[in-house]
Amino acid sequence: MHEQDSDEMISMLSRLAWRSVGRNKRRTIITVLSIALGLTFALFFITLAEGAYYQMIRDSVRMQAGHITLEQKDYRDAPAVDLYIKNPGELRNRIEALPDVEETKLLILGQGVARSGNGAVGVAVMGIEPSVEAGSSPLAKKIIKGEFLADTDDNLVIIGSSLASRLKLDLEKKLVLTTSDANGDLVDELCRVKGIFQTGSDEVDGFLVQLPINFARKLFTMPEGSATQLGVILKNQGKLNSVLKKIRGMLNDKDIVALPWREVMPELAAYITLDRTSNYIFQIILITLILFTIFNTILMSVLERRREFAILLAIGTPPGQLQLQVLFETIIFGIIGVGLGLLLGGAIAYYFRVHGLDISAFLKEGVTVSGFAMDTKMHARITAPIMLWSALIVFFATLLLSIFPMRRAARTPFADILR
Amino acid sequence: MITIYYSWRNLWRNSRRTLITLIALALTTAVLIINLALVEGYLKDAVANATDLVVGEAQVHAPGYLEDHSLYKTIENPDAILKAARDNGIGATERTYGYGLVSVGNKSAGAFFWGVKPSAEKTTFELAKHIGEGSFLTDSETGGIVLGKKIARSLNANVGDEIIAVVQAADGSLSPALYNVTGILKSAGEDIDRGAAILNDADFRGLFVMDKGVHEIALNSKGRIAPEMMPQLLAPALGKAEIKTWRQLLPAFSDIINLSSASIGIIGIVFFLAAGLGIMNTMLMATYDRMREFGILKALGTGPARIIGNVLAEAFLLSLVATLIGIILGLAGSYYLQVVGLDTGKVSGEISFAGVAFDPVWHASISVRTIILPVLEMWVICVLASLYPAILAARLEPVKAMLHV
Amino acid sequence: MPLHVVYAQSGKLSARDILNKVDDLYRGDASTGEMTMAIVTENWSRTLTMQIWAKGKDKSLIRILSPAKEQGTATLRVGNDIWNYLPKVNRTIKVSSSMMSQSWMGSHFTNDDLVRESRMADDYTFETTFDGVRDGIKVIEITCIPKPEAAIVWGKIVLTVKDESYIPLSILYYDESMNLVRTLIFSDIKNMDGRDIPMKMTVVPADKPDESTIVTYNQITFSTPIDDSVFSLRNLENP
Repeated sequence: MHEQDSDEMISMLSRLAWRSVGRNKRRTIITVLSIALGLTFALFFITLAEGAYYQMIRDSVRMQAGHITLEQKDYRDAPAVDLYIKNPGELRNRIEALPDVEETKLLILGQGVARSGNGAVGVAVMGIEPSVEAGSSPLAKKIIKGEFLADTDDNLVIIGSSLASRLKLDLEKKLVLTTSDANGDLVDELCRVKGIFQTGSDEVDGFLVQLPINFARKLFTMPEGSATQLGVILKNQGKLNSVLKKIRGMLNDKDIVALPWREVMPELAAYITLDRTSNYIFQIILITLILFTIFNTILMSVLERRREFAILLAIGTPPGQLQLQVLFETIIFGIIGVGLGLLLGGAIAYYFRVHGLDISAFLKEGVTVSGFAMDTKMHARITAPIMLWSALIVFFATLLLSIFPMRRAARTPFADILR
Repeated sequence: MITIYYSWRNLWRNSRRTLITLIALALTTAVLIINLALVEGYLKDAVANATDLVVGEAQVHAPGYLEDHSLYKTIENPDAILKAARDNGIGATERTYGYGLVSVGNKSAGAFFWGVKPSAEKTTFELAKHIGEGSFLTDSETGGIVLGKKIARSLNANVGDEIIAVVQAADGSLSPALYNVTGILKSAGEDIDRGAAILNDADFRGLFVMDKGVHEIALNSKGRIAPEMMPQLLAPALGKAEIKTWRQLLPAFSDIINLSSASIGIIGIVFFLAAGLGIMNTMLMATYDRMREFGILKALGTGPARIIGNVLAEAFLLSLVATLIGIILGLAGSYYLQVVGLDTGKVSGEISFAGVAFDPVWHASISVRTIILPVLEMWVICVLASLYPAILAARLEPVKAMLHV
Repeated sequence: MPLHVVYAQSGKLSARDILNKVDDLYRGDASTGEMTMAIVTENWSRTLTMQIWAKGKDKSLIRILSPAKEQGTATLRVGNDIWNYLPKVNRTIKVSSSMMSQSWMGSHFTNDDLVRESRMADDYTFETTFDGVRDGIKVIEITCIPKPEAAIVWGKIVLTVKDESYIPLSILYYDESMNLVRTLIFSDIKNMDGRDIPMKMTVVPADKPDESTIVTYNQITFSTPIDDSVFSLRNLENP
């Protein structure tokens, strides 16, 4: 009996709620639109921002040493080419076997001086595996003259446009790299320019020389197969912690550590956290404004129907039932509003995901964060968590707002009103 | 006067509705004020980070100095410029620069040496306080050197260590000197972190064999005078020297600030729309509720213009009172945020963006603009939002209106 | 072997022999000497006098005698390593790879020039490009192009020597785009310890023709043997 009652009551209440919602179309439209637009704006900003961060991380880890970097434990404090990983090959195979790993890369990072007939510049020397990097390296996409490196390129390098102009270098011209090798001896190697890149970052374009890792080993007198860093690139950024744990479990050499990108590039991590936080604060303010409207509407609708509620209460309707009716109305507003907002917001985000938002008109100089050049085209990033959480937060906030109006409904002083 | 009185009374006839509307308007105003204060604070802090730390609002150099940082391109008449700046209430310090080598133990690194006057630096800029370890230099003590964060790390240098500095002096000789590390800076931007080696003016001149000559005069009025005005103010004293504002010295950073302002502007519009939507809804409902009342008024012969006028007057009055309350609330919130700030510093502390170091605590900044703008917005929204229903009310047929439920 | 014996035997020397002769001109198993270096730049001029010891191809020690401010400053080179001793602060610093391209003592020579081991005959492909009279003097000009694998920045160098005596007159250095970068001129030929040697070398950078570094040998001997201990850090700091 009891169950039947509650089922009946729910269906009756929902019918009443629907009717009330339908009766006052204007109010319904405004409320639903407010929720929808609020959610849409929030989604627009959040997806664009998340897209920008995702791109920054993705480009930086592919430029540098991956989402997870393995290196000698003392390397980070005092980088030097004699602190290298002797035999990364076996470890590499085991890591690549992990399901969430997209690829691994070996790097040799060192310092040196690049000289031409026209001067000398202190540079960062980066030995890479061309076949691995060709598909993913941001530099490979920014070659403006010549070509990217190939595995068989001995003594060929790629340099930035600023370095090229400073040393008056062009394709096939020679430069001499002078450096201290892993034994501390001074060494020279002749190189020729295979390609010139331009990223927009002064630090990269003016001071980075990339060369095939075999050539780097020759230059720095390092054993075959060795590297200063083993970088791991993940398929999904979200799996970082679990993969990191697995990799740490594989390390039995106490000299080698595995670091997440946040420790290798702390400035980038800090920038993203800072920007994301300020973005969320803005969203909270925005949603708050929207919620005022919603609160207002729901409350007004309750107050407008005081007479109606008064009569219902007078004839013995339990106050709880009135509250439920208000709640149901709110739920209806919420569902339609959130649904509409997800559709609209999702559509706009999708548009920007595909076409991207080009802000280069504002940024003539390009953007660099701690020396990394950022893409000026922002692509929105839509993920299930973003859509879900935004929708849920707005929905439940709306429901919470109805509490006060609900109580007012229940406590309508029907005796006074009906007099 | 009478209209105001009657309008006020009309408002309070449905006191509950009016009260709710009032609160909604007031809160929205407060939120808009706080938001704007936060935004202004963000931008102001961002600029101040760059200018107050070390760059200043503007800098003076000999023509062509910035292209090659040649030791020999000094400012012609620095004293005149310094005096002109200080007379105008602009803080100014003089700096000299030169390239060379620093070595600690068996590690060496290329460095960019500074010769500064510590007391002037301390009053005009924040750099002297931006110390991570140890302390900054003082006017009286010589033999100390302050290093940038990254160069100190690459040398494995700690406070108290002995440093050998070797440079090619102004007379061409190879000039060495020994210093003790007095302090290590916190992150102050890429260039400084990587290469700064700061010496007392006297030590610098001894090292570089440069009795006189100043490479840079950095100006900072700490916000009192607009940087764009400085070239004019100092023109008589400049001579051939060039003056550049921070926007010209840090173009990448300037771009970022512009972009932030633009996107904040867009967010502001979005907020305006969000607020407007809510207000419009409220005013619409309020007006609709009084349809019957308007119908009666029309039946009694009140002209449509009068009705519109009444509605608008009430809306305006309401917004007036609401914004008043809103200002009080908004000011309170902004003031708290100005003094205490929003600490985003759970972040790992020091970052540099477009070449400038950032402070993670976010302070609001109250100004006349942060109050006037939202208030005006509110008034406009209220009046506009009531216009539509007002016109509707005015064009009603009395009987229909009276029967409106 | 004394020079006059060489050319009395075979008449004209081959280009290769000429190049080797020039490369070995200031070298011997051991040489000591005193020289003056006068540097003129856009902003200052100064003159240094110094004492030099050199042994074989890879050991040399240079000590500054004047001006008084820099007296005692010394540069030791052993193999690819260079150290500078600074008496003013009584410290020695090792010149790192990043400093190799810096000028030595403010001159137009770099630290690199001191260390340079390349031999024209071995590291370049060369040919005689002129044999005749120029400015009233009989000269032979040899153009050298660095071999593809040689770690040399130049695009080409052009050596001009006096005919018959094969004493160098000038070396011109070009970058890879064949722009002249610097000129080295030899003059003041005297006979020192059995050799005919230009006592004066002038370096002029092509982009700043008003600047120059002129090195004048006041005295140089080739026969006195030098102990290896001369080329040590201890000797560098405590002569």
